[in-house]
Amino acid sequence: MLHFALVGNPNSGKTTLFNSLTGSTARVGNWAGVTVEKTTGKYKKLEEEIEIIDLPGIYSLSPYTPEEIVSRNFIIDEKPDCVINIVDATNLERNLYLTTQLLEMDVPVVIALNMSDAVKKQGKEINIETLSKKLNVPIVEISALKNSGLTELMEVALEASKNPRKGQLIFDNEEISHLISDIKIALSLSNISNPLFHAVKLAELDKIEVQSHQDLLPIVDEYKASHKDNIYGDDYETLITAARYKYISKNFSGVIVQKEKTESTTKSDKIDKVFTHKFWGIPIFLVIIFLIFHFTFGNDLFYMGKMGLKIDNEIAVNYFTGMRYSGEAIFGIPSLGVWLHNWLTCGTESLIDLVRLGFTNIGMESSWITGLICDGVLTGLSSVIGFIPQILLLFAFISILEDSGYMARIAFVLDKTFRNIGLSGKAFIPMITGFGCSVPAIMATRTLQDEREKNRTIRLITCFSCGAKAPIWTLLASVATIALGLGDLFIFTIYLGGILIAILCSLFMKALSKDKKVPPLIMELPAYRLPQIKNVGTRVWHKLKHYLIEAGTVIAISLVIIWGLQSFGWDSAGNFGYIPEYIEGSFLAYIGKGITYVFYPLGWTIGEDGWKYMVSAITGLVAKENVVGTMASLGLMKDTISLSTAGIYAFASFNLLTLPCMATIATAKSEQSTKQFIITLLYWFFISYFMSGYIYWVGTLTINIWWLGLIAILSTIAVIVITLFLLNRKTKRNIALAK
Amino acid sequence: MPIVFAELNKEVKIVKLLVDEDTRKHLQNLGIFVGATIKVISSTFGNLILAIKESRLAINKDVAAKILVA
Repeated sequence: MLHFALVGNPNSGKTTLFNSLTGSTARVGNWAGVTVEKTTGKYKKLEEEIEIIDLPGIYSLSPYTPEEIVSRNFIIDEKPDCVINIVDATNLERNLYLTTQLLEMDVPVVIALNMSDAVKKQGKEINIETLSKKLNVPIVEISALKNSGLTELMEVALEASKNPRKGQLIFDNEEISHLISDIKIALSLSNISNPLFHAVKLAELDKIEVQSHQDLLPIVDEYKASHKDNIYGDDYETLITAARYKYISKNFSGVIVQKEKTESTTKSDKIDKVFTHKFWGIPIFLVIIFLIFHFTFGNDLFYMGKMGLKIDNEIAVNYFTGMRYSGEAIFGIPSLGVWLHNWLTCGTESLIDLVRLGFTNIGMESSWITGLICDGVLTGLSSVIGFIPQILLLFAFISILEDSGYMARIAFVLDKTFRNIGLSGKAFIPMITGFGCSVPAIMATRTLQDEREKNRTIRLITCFSCGAKAPIWTLLASVATIALGLGDLFIFTIYLGGILIAILCSLFMKALSKDKKVPPLIMELPAYRLPQIKNVGTRVWHKLKHYLIEAGTVIAISLVIIWGLQSFGWDSAGNFGYIPEYIEGSFLAYIGKGITYVFYPLGWTIGEDGWKYMVSAITGLVAKENVVGTMASLGLMKDTISLSTAGIYAFASFNLLTLPCMATIATAKSEQSTKQFIITLLYWFFISYFMSGYIYWVGTLTINIWWLGLIAILSTIAVIVITLFLLNRKTKRNIALAK
Repeated sequence: MPIVFAELNKEVKIVKLLVDEDTRKHLQNLGIFVGATIKVISSTFGNLILAIKESRLAINKDVAAKILVA
């Protein structure tokens, strides 16, 4: 089978093209670094099947971040039959910089000129023939988004793959060309493939290259000694970079012809004047985030209830909002998320009632089969499925942020704030992705080139409540409503509290590390565009499928196990058997109480129901949706949760900060070294243990004796500030001593 | 002078990059190399948005202070 690799700059449309060619639905977004690993798929419309490989975006073949190395190694080691180089026509010169490097390799290359329609819209014309002649490779105009030109591209690529191609040097500097051809001859003698490419990289003294060809270094050194450039000295890397750009702008700046005069500031620049504004930038971001949560979790969308407007419990209102429960007054109009949640829960609960009625009618009311199906599986699943609309809605909003190009701006706007806590703004992209799901969030940390920053960001990911944890907050909010007045306010405090904890932990991580240098922020800002319904839709659809499959497999199985452990045991007389009414004697109660001993210091684990909360939290290790599922089957529902306000916050913070689900843990393991991974696991365990305990005891104290609580809180702040100060001073002195 | 002090929306030429080697490499790949012409289009307390040809690049203050332009 033939193998074609897609290579191009970040955010040039490789994955969109890949999806169109192979019918896959790999994740796309409007920021650099969405694809962090190679993905493969098959193109089946030609006489022979072709494997297409989508590689992470790269700016050059001298990689900077780890995911760029994946791309470079693939082209060199796997030797694809053809490289399809995606060139973003709206940013031609920068994209051609990579092309000049690709053309140095001994591999057939076809250029797919993407987004040329956007260039034409700007009133410009692209002279493809000139470009093709100068580069000496075929060029096909495509639009990855609109699916045009793809058949032609594949035909041209197939044709090109049949003729081997020798690398060619494309840049404007005669002297250095001599050096490169000398090295190339030396390399060819030792039968190395891609001699020209390796020769250029060696002249640049590329780190990876120097390691593998130590023997040829004397040639470079000797040449350098005799040929000093008067501007760049012996910095040949800069010399070659400049030579490439010089060639590009000399030969290709005429390829795009400006027909009509347009303004020099683009639409994107104008939007940026608002979104990245000195003072409004951060407030705008906060408002956007608040609106997202409000539309997803808000019980009272227009604050009608807050203004004292009470809608009575009329049938029409009940139907409209999906609140079928009678006797409960409705305050205001709920948000779309709550609305969908109400309706879905209404449906699934009626279904369970129906199933139970069916069993009752055939006289199996108290049989264990009815218990297994209704109480064990369906009740748990219903509470899990009921939250799917809200999770998806949150996910859709985050997808829109990603697809519009705003994500990269957030990183820029927050960079200054982040720098104070020892992270660069770039670290915020994984974090905000973490509001959707922690797995892609941890994968996204690959765009951080600094190992320390990457490890810190992975550890902090749990602070950013993922979609699957949202059901826990919604359930608790319905309890907390009584204590706090507004349900979505409770949820907002959880999200905000998570961020505050992340900041605090990050400050400590910074203070404890020896090197306090924050990596620089250098990031491309893609042009804004309207979010593509197709992109957002596919991602939401995928998430939905993922949740349904998960609900039907892992969650259903763990619910059955939990049900089994909770329904069998010894009754009050000590006889073993099926004991649905006497949970205290069940296996689960014995196991749960045993485990809970370790967690007694947390406070909310004390009491009759304490072990049930603990068991629920532990089942979250399988998947976070399990927590509400288990709570439901253990009888901890809206009206039966007996925790105090402090207890609710402590329980919530434990679930937020503790070890995430298996899938996330596995992703963290593959992203970190074994030592760092173990530190991560320990960190997750201890931070949740201490935070939760602290919140419970200090919270309880504050509620009962407010002045004593206040003293406790103030002294904690004092201890934190002093510790941070001492830690920072100590490392500063160490650095001074080392000097 | 460091690019932090460059006038907004005015083309300037890069004369020196004082950053460490890895960062310099990355900047060069993105089109910021000695001899290139760029433009500052926005400045937020020293953090800059640069226009290099058609692309827009965000850099933070520490990097910006080490890019010398004329």
